[in-house]
Amino acid sequence: MKYYTPSSLSELNDLFLQTNNSKITILSGGTDILPRWEEGITLPKHLIDLKKINSISGIVEHDNKIIIGALTTVQDIYKSELIKTKYTALHQAASQFAGVQIRHRATIGGNICNASPAGDLLPGLYVHNAMIELTGPNGTRKLPINKCITGVGKTTLNNNEIVSAVILEKTEELSVFYKLGLRQSMAISVVNFAIAYRQTSPNLFDLQSIAAGAVAPTVVYLKEFTKAVNEGLPLEKAISLIEHDISPIDDIRASADYRKTVLKNLLTHKLKELYV
Amino acid sequence: MIGFYLNGKPVFGEFNPGTTLFDYLRDQEIFSVKFGSEKGETGADSVLLDGKVMNSSLLLMHTIDGKVIETIESFSQGVDVHPLQEAFIEEGAVQCGYCTPSMILAAESLLRENPTPNDDYVRESLSGVYCRCTGFVKPIQAIMKYATSREDR
Ligand SMILES: Cc1cc2nc3c(=O)[nH]c(=O)nc-3n(C[C@H](O)[C@H](O)[C@H](O)COP(=O)(O)OP(=O)(O)OC[C@H]3O[C@@H](n4cnc5c(N)ncnc54)[C@H](O)[C@@H]3O)c2cc1C
Ligand code: FES
Repeated sequence: MKYYTPSSLSELNDLFLQTNNSKITILSGGTDILPRWEEGITLPKHLIDLKKINSISGIVEHDNKIIIGALTTVQDIYKSELIKTKYTALHQAASQFAGVQIRHRATIGGNICNASPAGDLLPGLYVHNAMIELTGPNGTRKLPINKCITGVGKTTLNNNEIVSAVILEKTEELSVFYKLGLRQSMAISVVNFAIAYRQTSPNLFDLQSIAAGAVAPTVVYLKEFTKAVNEGLPLEKAISLIEHDISPIDDIRASADYRKTVLKNLLTHKLKELYV
Repeated sequence: MIGFYLNGKPVFGEFNPGTTLFDYLRDQEIFSVKFGSEKGETGADSVLLDGKVMNSSLLLMHTIDGKVIETIESFSQGVDVHPLQEAFIEEGAVQCGYCTPSMILAAESLLRENPTPNDDYVRESLSGVYCRCTGFVKPIQAIMKYATSREDR
């Protein structure tokens, strides 16, 4: 294994051109990659560590946007006042993410590129319509998060592209995140979801979108359900509409039926909390 | 060739690809760093990297170039007991002791960020360490006791 530490995006692009066509692995925090090696997966031929590229780390405000660099850690997200007040679902996801040790190391770019259906930062990014900035030798492009992640562990990144940033529009929308794990910390989500909503008057909410994780190969928007609730259908009636958008599976953490039932119950419960 | 500080002393060396800081530290007979799983699930392998608590088994040697690494050995210098360690002893927060170095490093990491923590903050600081004998009540008491005694000074 050859190890590279580019210190700028242009050095990274040069490396991509040099190592053309050979097997490259990108390393950020390594909290997904290293456990995989321990399971016996062979080391890659080229390992490119992004951590010295300072320009893709940290949270900055820009006109009507906020830009979260790909290397920003889960702990940095958790500590950010801006994220806590404007993108609460992301703050809440970070607060329930692993333990402090992992949070200090794990990055937002890694959470996206790992493309786990249970990735905890993802539902918040979906409901806030995050745009993902991809960078490589051919330039920079931007994709909505749901066009960037396409399946379990699958993204639309080219071989010589990295996620360089996450871009969020400033909005008046509020959001919440909820996670059910098998215990309180250090647990992968059995289901998780985020809700974005607008407060139209003191007691009235307009749901913007709901995204749920671990109930399909990727995080999914619960579109039919959201629409029905906004049109005034009582929650108890509307809730079965989530089945249009989900396709849960059985695994070691939970059965498909359990996931469906628990998502229905938790979502109803959370929305009732919002509507009190 | 990479270089870093380990408990205050500079270290330079070449390391095989894939070698983790955990492997290296155990090789150096720094036995406070314990095996839990290779996946950072138990937190028993904790170290401080630039003052922040992390899992040494998830850190490749190559990625600690230029960094400052601390283990519990640097707290006591092998002789004196650090006041935070003393608080653990006084509060009965140590049974088998397997998790204790990591608990103390986790506490230290968060105390450097917030010297006057409340109970919830301390509780959260320990969320990445598993203790299978003492539990968390006594360690939390020990950390709170230490934090308040520092404030009083
Ligand atoms: C004990 C433990 C607990 C965990 N708990 C949680 C949890 O509660 N919630 C949760 O969601 N996850 C959890 N995880 C999983 C993991 O920590 C997260 O997915 C994390 O966000 C990954 O980030 P990283 O920087 O460590 O990624 P890495 O391991 O460095 O990379 C992950 C993948 O993304 C690719 N990659 C990384 N960065 C980029 C980039 N910028 N551009 C292109 N490709 C890139 C890598 O090649 C790799 O395939 C846990 C892991 C462990 C070990
Ligand atoms: S004291 Fe034994 S594991 Fe914590």
